[in-house]
Formats: sequence, structure tokens, C-alpha cells
Amino acid sequence: MAESVLTAHPAGEESPFGIQSKKLAIWLFIAADSATFGAILFAYGFLRVGAADWTRPFAFFPSILNGIVMTVVLLTSSLTMLAAVAAAQRGDTAKTVRWMGITALLGATFAALHLREWFNMFHEGWSPSKNPLGGSAQFGATFFGVTGLHLLHVTCGVLAILVIALLVRRGKLTAGHVETTGLYWHFVDLVWMFVFPLVYLMNAR
Amino acid sequence: MQVYVLVWIGLLCIVGAEVLLAYAHLRTGVLLAGLLALALVEAGAGLLFFMHLKYERAKLAWWLIPVLLFVFLLMDHLWPDAFRLAALRGP
Repeated sequence: MAESVLTAHPAGEESPFGIQSKKLAIWLFIAADSATFGAILFAYGFLRVGAADWTRPFAFFPSILNGIVMTVVLLTSSLTMLAAVAAAQRGDTAKTVRWMGITALLGATFAALHLREWFNMFHEGWSPSKNPLGGSAQFGATFFGVTGLHLLHVTCGVLAILVIALLVRRGKLTAGHVETTGLYWHFVDLVWMFVFPLVYLMNAR
Repeated sequence: MQVYVLVWIGLLCIVGAEVLLAYAHLRTGVLLAGLLALALVEAGAGLLFFMHLKYERAKLAWWLIPVLLFVFLLMDHLWPDAFRLAALRGP
């Protein structure tokens, strides 16, 4: 860590948090992005409380069960990302790349499950402005808004993990980069820990 | 890695508890409070162990988390209007 602090501050001034600049930058991004997700979840809550005819469309099968599988996949991807960080810190490039590949695969699985659910809902007549069950159309707007923002983060995360893994394999990046990518990935996982109960379980039939 | 695996198992158990809670036929407010409490425990465990906040200088957490909580506190100003809308529609 001492080496990284010196690298980040060539003048010799110590980082106030004892971490690399890139790690501090990703923490700042996470704080800002938490506020973004907080705002969209608060908007969802506002519309839900204020709507006269809120819809609870999710049956246990397939929607809630699909959500449970997605949650397990995402949580497991956090574990594999931790394995990648541990391997990177040991200097084991092959294992780092392998664990990052597995993490990206799990992230892609999550995205595929999510898109499958979306397309099933489109097929049933749902859209951001339409509710085929006859209740408030705001359900579609909030559901696709919240889950769409999260899905965008997952997609960006998968791409970032693949690019970082490639550069680690070529020896161009270090364990610090893997750890920073991991922080972003865990954040995406943590956001889902709020989206799943608030958007899925609160709307279970 | 052993600690991480234990945290991962704990998080899976909490997800299971959330699903059970969702089908326990609770009032909406009670269900929301229960699910939010469990989600906060999950987020805390994720922050401390997966994101290594437990192993960083305490200053980092003290610098980030209170500011974020303050932002969420400010967002709470919208609830009175949401409840006003709910009251307008009657019982």
C-alpha cells in the first residue's frame, strides 16, 4: 500500500484515506451513483404510495423465482470477483483472468435472465407506458426505469471486467485495477439487494 | 476466502428470509419495514466485507456514509405529498 500511495502522490504527500487515487475515485463514483439509485427508488416509492390502483403483477412462478435465481447468480458473481482480487494480490495472473471470466459470465447470465423477463412482459402487453392488467401505467414506467438503470450498470460492469481481464493477461494492469473493478461490481450487487425486495417482492401476488 | 464464503451464505439466507416475508401476508408498511431492514443488513455486510470497508481507514467510511445518509434524508421531503395524494383518493 505504501508503494501505491507514493505512486499516487509523487510529492510525498500521503493520501488522506491511505488508498490509491483510482480507488478513491471509484468510491466517489459509488457515492454519487448511490444517490442516483436512491432518487429513482424514492420516485418509485412516491408513485406507488400516491397511485390509486397500483398493480402487483408478479406471481411466484415465473417472476419471483426468476428474481431469486438472478439474485443468487449476482451474489455468486461477487464471490468470484473476490476470488479474482485475491488471485491478483497473490500475483497469479492466470487465476485472476479465469475468475474474472467466470464473473463476467455470471453477469451476462444475470443480464440474459433479466432480458428474458422483460421480453416476456413485453409479450404480455407491458411497456413503460402500458399496463395490460388495467391498473396504474406508472408501474411499467418505474419497473422498467429502475431495472433498466440497474441492467445498464450490469452490462457496463461485464464489459469493464472483460476489458480489465484482457489487460491484466497482457500484463498492462495491476491488482489495484482488479480491486477497483471489483468495488464497482460489488456496488452493482448491493443495489440489486434493494431492487429485488422493493420492486419484485413488494409487488408479489 | 473463508470469511467471504460465510458472508455469501449469510446473504443467501437473508434473500430466503425476504422471500418468506413477502408471502407472510403482512400489512404493506410492515412488509416494507422488514424488507428494508434486511436489505440494509445485506448492504452493510457487502460494504464491510465484499467492498473491504472494514479493512480501510475508518475515516473513509465516516467521510462517505453520513453524506449519503444526509442526501437520502433530504429525499424524504417528498413523502408528505405522496401521502396527500393517497388521502385524496379516500378510503
